[in-house]
Amino acid sequence: MSDVTLYHWEPNANSGKPMLALMEKGVKFESQYLDMLNFDQHKPDYLAVNPQGTIPAMTHGDNVLVESTAIMEYVDEAFPGPSLMPADPRDRLRIRWWMKFMDQWLGPSFSMFGWKYFVGPAARQKGEAELEAAINRIPLPERQIAWRKAVYGLFSDEEMAESGRRIGVGIKMLEAELVKRDWLASDQYSLADINGFNLAYALPLSQPHLSNDELTPNIMRWLRKIYARQAVKDCWALGRTDMVKRVEILEQDYIPPKPESEGIAKGIGDKENLAR
Amino acid sequence: MSAILYYGEPNGASFTVLAALEESRLNIETRYLDLLSGARHRIVGLTDRVALDMGVEGEGPVLVINGEAMTESVFIAQYLDEAGAGHMQPKDAHTHWQMLMWCRRVTERAAPAAAFLGCRSNAHTKLAAISEAAFADLTAHIVSPDLKARWEALRRGDFQQAQEEDSIAKISDLAALCNTQLGDGRDWLIGDYSIADLVTYGWLAGMRGIVPDAFADRSKLAVWFARVEARPSVQRALAHAIAAHPGQHWAPGPEINRWG
Ligand SMILES: N[C@@H](CCC(=O)N[C@@H](CS)C(=O)NCC(=O)O)C(=O)O
Repeated sequence: MSDVTLYHWEPNANSGKPMLALMEKGVKFESQYLDMLNFDQHKPDYLAVNPQGTIPAMTHGDNVLVESTAIMEYVDEAFPGPSLMPADPRDRLRIRWWMKFMDQWLGPSFSMFGWKYFVGPAARQKGEAELEAAINRIPLPERQIAWRKAVYGLFSDEEMAESGRRIGVGIKMLEAELVKRDWLASDQYSLADINGFNLAYALPLSQPHLSNDELTPNIMRWLRKIYARQAVKDCWALGRTDMVKRVEILEQDYIPPKPESEGIAKGIGDKENLAR
Repeated sequence: MSAILYYGEPNGASFTVLAALEESRLNIETRYLDLLSGARHRIVGLTDRVALDMGVEGEGPVLVINGEAMTESVFIAQYLDEAGAGHMQPKDAHTHWQMLMWCRRVTERAAPAAAFLGCRSNAHTKLAAISEAAFADLTAHIVSPDLKARWEALRRGDFQQAQEEDSIAKISDLAALCNTQLGDGRDWLIGDYSIADLVTYGWLAGMRGIVPDAFADRSKLAVWFARVEARPSVQRALAHAIAAHPGQHWAPGPEINRWG
């Protein structure tokens, strides 16, 4: 029996970070899958673990941990196994900088697209009354607002444009950084790569006009190298929906540029998009 | 290795790194930056300025190592601790996680509020007083459009009532949280004296003059402020001040969370 339990959704974004970190360290853990689109994260059993009602959360013995990036740092420090943070303080600073940049500046912009085109429409499958009841159970007021925006399609053109701008800038920054070294923030595979992969693995599918083998060869090299890791295979095998199958695009040796219209705005839930 | 720590008045993010430097006992050159004159964007001789241009923290300290600019005060403080004396972070993984979470609580929720309130009471009049041309010159070097937009809003005096109320509430919440945390008689916020104390002091100390009500009847917090101020390293950090009251000096800080 493992004394580690991870509460997670699909290996994607915030859930995928601690999942992959645990896999890389070789830590055995009990997996508790929460269906985010079914609002499992706001049910009493889970609120007893994480009263904020956000995913992921981890328990280790009596300790309860939240915040995906902070959980990864804990996992790296608390368990034996390959180190996911280099010893050099300067590398560590650069890793932390990139993780914060992705968590707070770039990630939320990707997430806004994901919520508008995928999470919102998927949740709308529920009836109005059920949806309202589910939203009213959300403990954090700002999350109630976020869910309402997503399910009723209330994102303004302005905020979508700003998120689009940030995604474009962020892709250029990642590409430029990956010209400097093999891995994102240090010469060894680190938490920054785990964080970045969870953010960026579907880029050539969701942003085919911005990220592909012509425009961002270094991002593509980096994503494929991470995808080749056994821990990534094991981690993505815990996914239950078509969403995670998007990662399979990294099996293609060459991904040409495609028009923007074939990307996320078309709906990342589209079956045709997921098929290949 | 050549390193230079650029800092503003010992307040907010700059206080954190100056105090961490003093604790680290590293011998690193320090250089003052007048943040509200945009000096941070005109540092010369950088070979890599990504972190400076795109940092989430906004106007704050910059650590330059061999030409590479590094930002984000908590991470610079961790760097100084890890490269130096190494006693400012808990060794136990769980307590370390608690320290990281505390620092995030301060930098993600309270710091944008403090920067908003501090800028409103002090920086706005200074920026509004300079000419259009001088302001254009100042902001010409700011690479990030969202940071530039925060400078422009500050000069215009674009302070929404709702944002003001929200910011005051966030400072008050943090003050209350500190007071409760210290309620069990502990001396420091998380474990031994740590970066959590520096970060909290940096963002809250100047707020005492700006939102005094948030600090009324919070006696544990008042005693903690005095305890922090009594540390020789903190006194040396505060001695870097050029202004008479560093707690009144602010420049555009982190953005208020837009989504997620
Ligand atoms: N900063 C947190 C954010 C956690 C978070 O927002 N998770 C999302 C899923 S990626 C979530 O729980 N959303 C569902 C909800 O808010 O109801 C972290 O990194 O762990």
